[in-house]
Amino acid sequence: MLVFRSEDHLTRWLTGRPAGATIPVSKLAELAEAWWWDRLDPDWQPHTREQNQAILDRLGLTGDFWRLG
Amino acid sequence: MTPEDLPIRNATYRLFAEHGRAPTVDEVAVATGEGSDVVRAAWRRLQDGRALVLDGDGRLLMANPFSGVETPHRVEAAGRTWYANCGWDAFGIGVVLRADSTIHTTCADCGDAIDLDVRGYRPTDPDPLFHVLVPARDWWSDIGFT
Repeated sequence: MLVFRSEDHLTRWLTGRPAGATIPVSKLAELAEAWWWDRLDPDWQPHTREQNQAILDRLGLTGDFWRLG
Repeated sequence: MTPEDLPIRNATYRLFAEHGRAPTVDEVAVATGEGSDVVRAAWRRLQDGRALVLDGDGRLLMANPFSGVETPHRVEAAGRTWYANCGWDAFGIGVVLRADSTIHTTCADCGDAIDLDVRGYRPTDPDPLFHVLVPARDWWSDIGFT
């Protein structure tokens, strides 16, 4: 999971490499807020796969690449 | 991971946030009133349940989003310096601490510094991009690489 300064930098880095999925850091921030929000809750319970998939789906991170195993 | 492991998991995370570093087995044992062997065994089960990651000597390596070791993803938040396991985790540290943060990382292409101020859980500079190499179904196959 890598951070790039801009589209130009990402395009250059991907040359000759298989591409994964790219999102802006603003979307990453939304994902982090939903994914990590409860980690320090004193009564934390593990997320189910379905709960985590629902987070991805809600943020529009859909398709085979974003399908949890 | 069993229901009995959750108090040990939750104490591990609480101590990580309180101390600003990975707690030791003995520190978690004292905090929970359990024996060190009990904590060590619980940590192994929690790792099997993908709730944390240990190093080869059984020390805490990752309690995502926190990293137990220095990484290229440094985060200033809540008056402390933290290390994250990746860019995603770097945003998560401010979230779990309920704090604004500044993320110091580098561009994977050119290596130049990228400093991101995060206010209200959102970056003030929306231009940088985040690239995920591994499909979601494989994220835990090699969490260190992911």
